[in-house]
Amino acid sequence: MTNKNPKETEPSAPILTRSDFLKIGGATLGAVVLSELVISGPFSPDAIQGIGAEAHPHQGSSDHQWHMAIDLDRCIGCLYCVRACQAVNDVPDDEMRWNIVFPERLEDGTEFFMNRPCQHCQEAPCVRVCPVGATWVRPDGIVAMDYDRCIGCRYCQVACPYDVRRFNWKTSDAPNPYQPTWGSAEVPRRPRGVVEKCTFCVHRIDRGVEQGLKPGVDRSATPACVVACPVGARIFGDILDPESPISQFLAANTTFRLREDWGTEPKVHYVRPRKKEA
Amino acid sequence: MATTVKSPSALTLTPFTLWVGGLAIALLVGLFAMLQVLLNGLQVTGLSDIVPWGLWITLDLSSIALGAGAFTFSAAVYLFRIHRLEPLARPAVFVGFLGYTSAMLALAMDIGRPDRFYHPLIYWNVHSVLWEITWCVVLYSMVLFLEVFPVLAESRFFDRLLWVRRLAHRIHGLTPVLAVVGMGLSLLHQSSLGATYGVLSGRAIWFKPSLPIMFIISAVAGGMSLTLLATIISSKLLHRQLIKPDVKREVARVIGYTTLAYLYIKLWDWAATSYYSSAPGTASAIQRLQATTPYTTTFWGIEIILAGIVPAVILLYQPLRRNDRALMVALGLICLGVVVNRWNVTLSGLVAPPAWSPGVLGNVVAATYFPTITEILVAVGIFAYALLGFTLGVRYLQLYNPRKSH
Repeated sequence: MTNKNPKETEPSAPILTRSDFLKIGGATLGAVVLSELVISGPFSPDAIQGIGAEAHPHQGSSDHQWHMAIDLDRCIGCLYCVRACQAVNDVPDDEMRWNIVFPERLEDGTEFFMNRPCQHCQEAPCVRVCPVGATWVRPDGIVAMDYDRCIGCRYCQVACPYDVRRFNWKTSDAPNPYQPTWGSAEVPRRPRGVVEKCTFCVHRIDRGVEQGLKPGVDRSATPACVVACPVGARIFGDILDPESPISQFLAANTTFRLREDWGTEPKVHYVRPRKKEA
Repeated sequence: MATTVKSPSALTLTPFTLWVGGLAIALLVGLFAMLQVLLNGLQVTGLSDIVPWGLWITLDLSSIALGAGAFTFSAAVYLFRIHRLEPLARPAVFVGFLGYTSAMLALAMDIGRPDRFYHPLIYWNVHSVLWEITWCVVLYSMVLFLEVFPVLAESRFFDRLLWVRRLAHRIHGLTPVLAVVGMGLSLLHQSSLGATYGVLSGRAIWFKPSLPIMFIISAVAGGMSLTLLATIISSKLLHRQLIKPDVKREVARVIGYTTLAYLYIKLWDWAATSYYSSAPGTASAIQRLQATTPYTTTFWGIEIILAGIVPAVILLYQPLRRNDRALMVALGLICLGVVVNRWNVTLSGLVAPPAWSPGVLGNVVAATYFPTITEILVAVGIFAYALLGFTLGVRYLQLYNPRKSH
């Protein structure tokens, strides 16, 4: 056996040279730093609540938590809430409705009208997947959209299990048939190529809070659908305030949320429809 | 020696000019369709809010998966030092480069705001698997460009630009480093493309940890298949032996085993999520798919039997493997299987959405999707670009038997 490198046969050769030691040490340190970032740093799974927030400061405060309740037993299916939403948020196209109401039937045959605005999930699947942080959970719990940042990849639509997101397939330039009968536009229309969704009428809430009004109580600070409902089937407010309509409603009624098994923690609560006596 | 030099003025209708001419026309038609998309937006597609992803995402996922031969062969040659595979490294990298550029072209069409394509690079959401994919694909495309650059620089066009040659020589020296970086990036994003669906906890039919694993294994099998298939076809058309027969058969056998491993994981994926369990979301979604779509045929017929078991048998049974025709059929079927799989994965979760109103009868109507002519023409144009690129590459670049530059 011929060995070209005499150094390897010398018994005094150190197991670790200094450069080996530095390499191994450096790699270990790098791995520790990386794991630390993934476990508890900005890359940790818990940090989802901070997505997009750093770029949108001063929007919403954690002093409030906005929730909505929908009493399916009271809803008469008049679609006032749908039209008020389309007028105020300027959604002329019926296929783009943010808030939908449609006839449904329970397993026991009970007929009712299902209502579905955005569920404003605290653990929103759409927020987690957005590659640019164009949608985020505000400190007050509202799932907001940044139309200037959205690239229109539609991954949020693919991720949302409640089908609440709408994509602007074309430029929306048609006249809005629901204005001015049901209200007038309070927000600008969205451009072609971005995703939009129910905002809980965030513009009303933010302006109302600024003016010292109570969203859920004062009409001008409350979502349009809640204000428009003629039978009081929609209740809105701050669940951190025990006096708010929503807190009192949730205390007095048994409610459920859509597919709680998904762990999305929605902020829309429903009252189950009762079987009507014929 | 084998290439005959013609006089430049003789533009006769050889099969080659017809082929290139046809591809050029298809490319032009595709470019026209792309213009329609940019002018009119995505309303020209058959997509909807229920099925927001379709043909282009399939094209995107498939071309990245079929480009995986680049990292596989680079890693085999430059990292694991299997030198007899070296003749396949260059064509694999070239195919990969064409695949990734095709994917980026399809993505540029598919996003609603192509003018904001750079947003994922400046606005970070580290929790989005799509953000990670975007970064990996951008970085890996750069790696592929650096790996292809020395091949391009060898062409006669750069005969007088010596600085290009010198730069190429320097970059060529980095090849082993690029192979390591490329493998790292590929191991991340090839599987993350499966995770794109696998992480969606609200969509039961997708939500499973097997998707990333199945995506990367099928990508490795498909990527090697496409590179080998393209090499065999080129070799037949040029009447020239481009790689040694034993190398060809060895790679074919490795692809066979990879396909077998993939089928095994897929068997257990199906057994665990469907056969031995009846997870409500998955079971009802598959029922609806089987009732309203040709899912049974596309999954069992094409994905499993035609593109899984059949090629695995051909590639692992020596008498069949030694027959070039059977070998080409097997490799082609694996590539087809990757495309059909990406289509099935994407469409299955969208066409049968989860039922979100509790207590109701669960009779959610399955959505439908069929691509429009414009959508198909864009896809044809992108496919023509890749084929044209490879044809010209084989003809004018030293993809095989490179001159010894050292």
